[in-house]
Amino acid sequence: MEQDMQDFAVEARRFLDAHVAKALDRTAFTWGEGDDSMAYFSSLPPEEEHEHVQRARAWQRIRHENGFGWITGPAEYGGRGLTPVHDLLYDAVESEYDVADTGVLSVIGLGMIGPTILAHAQPHIKDRWLPAMYRGDAIACQLFSEPGAGSDLASVATRAVREGEDWVLNGQKVWTSVAQHSQIGLALTRTNPDAPKHRGMTAFLVPMDTPGVEVRPLRQMTGGADFNEVFLTDVRIPDDHRLGEVDGGWTVALTTLMNERATVGSEGVGPVAAALSPDHLSALMRATWTWDDRALRARLAELLVDVLATEHLNARALHKLRAGVAPGPEMSVSKLMYGQNLTRAAHFVSDVLGPRIIADTGQWGTYAWTELLLATPALRILGGTEEIMKNILAERVLGLPKEPVTAAAREVRP
Amino acid sequence: MTADESELRELRASVREFLDSKSPEEAVRKLMESEPRFDPAVWAQAADQLRLPGLAIPEEYGGDGFGLVELGVVLEEMGRALFCAPFFATVLLAAQALLASGDKEACARLLPGIASGRTTATLAVAEDHGSWDPAMVLARAVPDSDGGWTVRGRKCFVVDGTTADVILLVARTVAGPTLFAVQRDAVGLSAEPMETLDATRAMARLTLDAVPATLVGAQGAGGRIMATVLDIASVGLAAEQAGGARRCLETSADYARVRHQFGRPIGSFQAVKHKCAEMLAQVELAEASSREAARLADEDSPDFPVAAAVAHACCSRAYMVAAMENIQVHGGIGFTWEHPAHLYFRRAKSSQLLFGGPAVYHERLLDRLGI
Ligand SMILES: Cc1cc2nc3c(=O)[nH]c(=O)nc-3n(C[C@H](O)[C@H](O)[C@H](O)COP(=O)(O)OP(=O)(O)OC[C@H]3O[C@@H](n4cnc5c(N)ncnc54)[C@H](O)[C@@H]3O)c2cc1C
Repeated sequence: MEQDMQDFAVEARRFLDAHVAKALDRTAFTWGEGDDSMAYFSSLPPEEEHEHVQRARAWQRIRHENGFGWITGPAEYGGRGLTPVHDLLYDAVESEYDVADTGVLSVIGLGMIGPTILAHAQPHIKDRWLPAMYRGDAIACQLFSEPGAGSDLASVATRAVREGEDWVLNGQKVWTSVAQHSQIGLALTRTNPDAPKHRGMTAFLVPMDTPGVEVRPLRQMTGGADFNEVFLTDVRIPDDHRLGEVDGGWTVALTTLMNERATVGSEGVGPVAAALSPDHLSALMRATWTWDDRALRARLAELLVDVLATEHLNARALHKLRAGVAPGPEMSVSKLMYGQNLTRAAHFVSDVLGPRIIADTGQWGTYAWTELLLATPALRILGGTEEIMKNILAERVLGLPKEPVTAAAREVRP
Repeated sequence: MTADESELRELRASVREFLDSKSPEEAVRKLMESEPRFDPAVWAQAADQLRLPGLAIPEEYGGDGFGLVELGVVLEEMGRALFCAPFFATVLLAAQALLASGDKEACARLLPGIASGRTTATLAVAEDHGSWDPAMVLARAVPDSDGGWTVRGRKCFVVDGTTADVILLVARTVAGPTLFAVQRDAVGLSAEPMETLDATRAMARLTLDAVPATLVGAQGAGGRIMATVLDIASVGLAAEQAGGARRCLETSADYARVRHQFGRPIGSFQAVKHKCAEMLAQVELAEASSREAARLADEDSPDFPVAAAVAHACCSRAYMVAAMENIQVHGGIGFTWEHPAHLYFRRAKSSQLLFGGPAVYHERLLDRLGI
């Protein structure tokens, strides 16, 4: 097992050495040098955004051609058939290199929708889309949330009505990340309004170029538009694009949500990693002459305890995987901490910067932090709010009783 | 030597079983009001049946040669049970100080007795101000005519200080802080018990009036030895804290499932549910940070000192949160003397401050990170 891992790491390094440069050593961070961007969301102008997506696709294709595009996927769909540990090991090795950011493909499409298609779609749909997704050709989005169905996802109201071999979808989705770049979307719809709400939903794979699908950018508080509204008007989808049983959409959604929780907590690269790096934060304190402020130092220490302990938590989950033991609540706790740590980091930094974060002095690495500061509220909401995550931990891990369900809550609101 | 996952599980199970039968709550309550604050018969059984004192002592000194990972499992269990025993002072403080001193002669003289459970020991560093920083030590040692040393001064917060057979202590010499060993029955040594917030961990004040002492390690090496010992001891303490915090969480969750108010279990109220979820997050972080630190210690990793500082701070906070919220979830009954919640609260607070507290460990972490 260990030997196999070492061979795999060597192979990964050989591949990466042949294609990309080593990343700059993050520990050798120097104040005032390089890009000072602290953006969690991209907020790029359209042409640059397009280039960014092309770079992501190109790098995914190279990965795929060399056997690192879908490490855990089955061979018949172009995967490598290896374990999650290989996957994590590859990520760790790749993080030492300067590769294109593939988040637009991976966070939702490869991280959440791919596994759902694999588990629930018909064979020819898998043939059609899985290789395309993992080759970087197809980007996927998650058409779950609606204006009236966020935390309470089972109350989706988008209707799907059967007409012969097709289904006709009507409704509105919202906050759909990367829909503007997507070729396919996984939609959760209502097929049986009379059934209890969890039992009246069906999931469909929607090609985004189907007539009647309209994507409208939705501006977010950071100023950019990473997410969208998606309007579905008489969208005809063949029955073979259905995932799972008719009215069995909740099971399909759960597959996606489980993968979502695993994906969201495990990010932490690029500028976001810098925001949690002891070197970066201490350099900031030096640059602002707050170095020996005792109150700030104590807060920095408290923040770093959480950041480093969360890293240990992720390491524990990895050891467990390696030992063939299923990880426990580590990933859910990690997701919770990830949002909180970044939020605390952003507020710590704003206290260090003071007025320099309310107006741009032009000084390197100061006002740039507004980008992270404005992104932090999203991190406590997306992928399940903090409150929902706590409910899940308390009920599923600690076995506390569920919230009493009222009669009204059983029904779908119009 | 290192145990694999299933061996660790076995170790945990046997220690838990032992403590369930030998250290139930009634036993803890009885011991915390008696002198000594441990039961010598139970201590002897822990040594003879489970070989606990020798677990992490190298084989050449009569131990079983395991590391901090295994010791951590034992300490988690002891923390859970609030086990009253000379384990912490003897095995974690004194034995680790001896090992860190690199003084083979002193190790060969003292460790076999410790490993077998025949000798109990402790480490006396702090004085009236409570700091474990060897630079703050005022006690002085001077060489006497026949090659020995005598120590004068006072020591405070000495864990098991009235009962330990051997006291390792830091005193200053012309070469700087230095480690010495003093025998319990040495002339000039007096020990008085201190009243403690946490009665399950006995502490004493020592007065040393020209007490004969043996040099341990090199003269002036006290600072370096203490840096190592504090890292290891704080990771051991962190394990104890993680165990106590886990116990508080379990007690709260159990109670929240069965206690009814307003016609429903209190655990179905979100305010309570979220409290429990926050305790769970703290406990998971605490276990991860203390176990990772122990693993890095056993691997001799250069990352260990940072991890030790993280574990100490993380587990101190986690235990405090868990112990406080445990009382809150229990409501009025949690505030009664009869309920065990206050025993954990007392232990959590006193452990958090044992080596100096947040102001000290935060600076220590920043220092380790080069900040
Ligand atoms: C940046 C971003 C990207 C997103 N991307 C996508 C995407 O790609 N696809 C997609 O489908 N969705 C996406 N979402 C939507 C996201 O999943 C929802 O916003 C989220 O689940 C919360 O739903 P809501 O916004 O309707 O808030 P609500 O559910 O209305 O919640 C409002 C408040 O009430 C609280 N609350 C609700 N129910 C409970 C309860 N039972 N107990 C306690 N408190 C409760 C919440 O915690 C929150 O504080 C995205 C959101 C963001 C911010």
